[in-house]
Amino acid sequence: MQTLDVISVNLWQILISLLNLLLLFLIFKHFLFKPVRNVLKKRQDELDSKYAKADETQAIADENKAAWEEKLLTADKEADTILEKATENAKYRGDKIIEEAKQQADSIIKVAEAEAMLERRKAKEDIKKEIVEVSGVLAEKMLEREINKDDHRAIIDSVIEEIGEGDD
Amino acid sequence: MKTKSRLFVALDVLLIIMMILPLAVAIGIKVLITPPSEGINIAGARIIYTFDNMPIQPLVITESQVNSWLIIISIFSLCLYFTHGIKVKADTKRQHALEWIVEKCDGLVGQNMGEYFAAFSPFIASIIALSAFSSLMCLFGLFPPTSDINIVGGWALLVFILITYYKLKCGPWHYIKGFAEPIVILAPMNLISEIATPVSMAFRHYGNVLSGTVISVLVTTGLQGLSNILLGWLPGFLGEFPFLQIGIPAVLSAYFDVFSSCLQAYIFAMLTMMYVSGAFPAEDYFKRKEKKKNKKITTKEKLEVI
Repeated sequence: MQTLDVISVNLWQILISLLNLLLLFLIFKHFLFKPVRNVLKKRQDELDSKYAKADETQAIADENKAAWEEKLLTADKEADTILEKATENAKYRGDKIIEEAKQQADSIIKVAEAEAMLERRKAKEDIKKEIVEVSGVLAEKMLEREINKDDHRAIIDSVIEEIGEGDD
Repeated sequence: MKTKSRLFVALDVLLIIMMILPLAVAIGIKVLITPPSEGINIAGARIIYTFDNMPIQPLVITESQVNSWLIIISIFSLCLYFTHGIKVKADTKRQHALEWIVEKCDGLVGQNMGEYFAAFSPFIASIIALSAFSSLMCLFGLFPPTSDINIVGGWALLVFILITYYKLKCGPWHYIKGFAEPIVILAPMNLISEIATPVSMAFRHYGNVLSGTVISVLVTTGLQGLSNILLGWLPGFLGEFPFLQIGIPAVLSAYFDVFSSCLQAYIFAMLTMMYVSGAFPAEDYFKRKEKKKNKKITTKEKLEVI
């Protein structure tokens, strides 16, 4: 079989070789780089979406955290105000109760005093009567014989009257 | 781990066979068409078929063409094998290797050519693969297509077309003006250097591979002679056996066939990247684009005014 010379230029062969390289280029492009690029792109997309999701979740979590912290702060304040209010209320109520009690006590005392006064007056009257009676009896016994009854009575009465007026 | 389906494995095996089969076919063809050795034989590719009725020159189909095609089939199968069962969630070594290759390639192209030429990475990959595999064919005792000037010439021609295409991006006037730089007198020199680019690329690659083969053959033959002189006094069969041919040519082969093949592929790819990206007047191009855009806008405004 024939061989070519070591250096022999053949245009057709050059053309074929050029087309061969182009063909291999197309093969590489479509069967090697394209699938790999697709896969890499898909992976990148997946990663991106995952990162985006993570960021979103983080943002939501942060928001929640802030909201809760704020709520906690306000809760403290609220508790304080509630306590304050309660204390005030209690104080007010206590004062009121004490006042009422005082008033009641005063009125009770007044009533009691009035009653006592009445009682005293009654007792005075009673005593007066008794004294009158007793003195009457006494005087009767003492002066039974000497003075007549009516004069005697009048004198005693006047005396007692004097005493009572002076006493009163 | 999930076991792969039977069909998947069968396809894998088929693709691997498709990778190896072209090599076997090439070796078969080589054995069929090579006449018994007649000593030192340094020649071009063997002609397999000739189409005589073509214009300009007869179209000859030689070993280098056939081997190129076989390599392309082999690489095609390799691509299919690599991308077979590719997933978003990579869990096979195959896919990791594939992604590594693609990323390295993108990185190389991005580093040497810049963002604008990102689409070049399959082209550069195909140059490296075709060149390296073609040169490495000689490891199997086959004719390496890269030691044929026509093959490498075709590639260089394609690179030249690309260079010219990118130089013409700024319009023909810009291209012609480029030859008159830095002064008009140097125009012929520039023209020569322009044409010399693909020629030098082709000759560099072809010369390296061919010279490796030539030196290997020469050294091997020389060693046979040396062996005869030094060890010829040994009795009988021992005296005829070329002992010095054991091992020493293998070292040369390691350099010329393996190292040089990969290196030349890399160099060819690097030069392609340099020349093509260097040919593209990026600044002028973007300025021009901007101008065109502005013009369009102004004409639009004018139309609106009217």
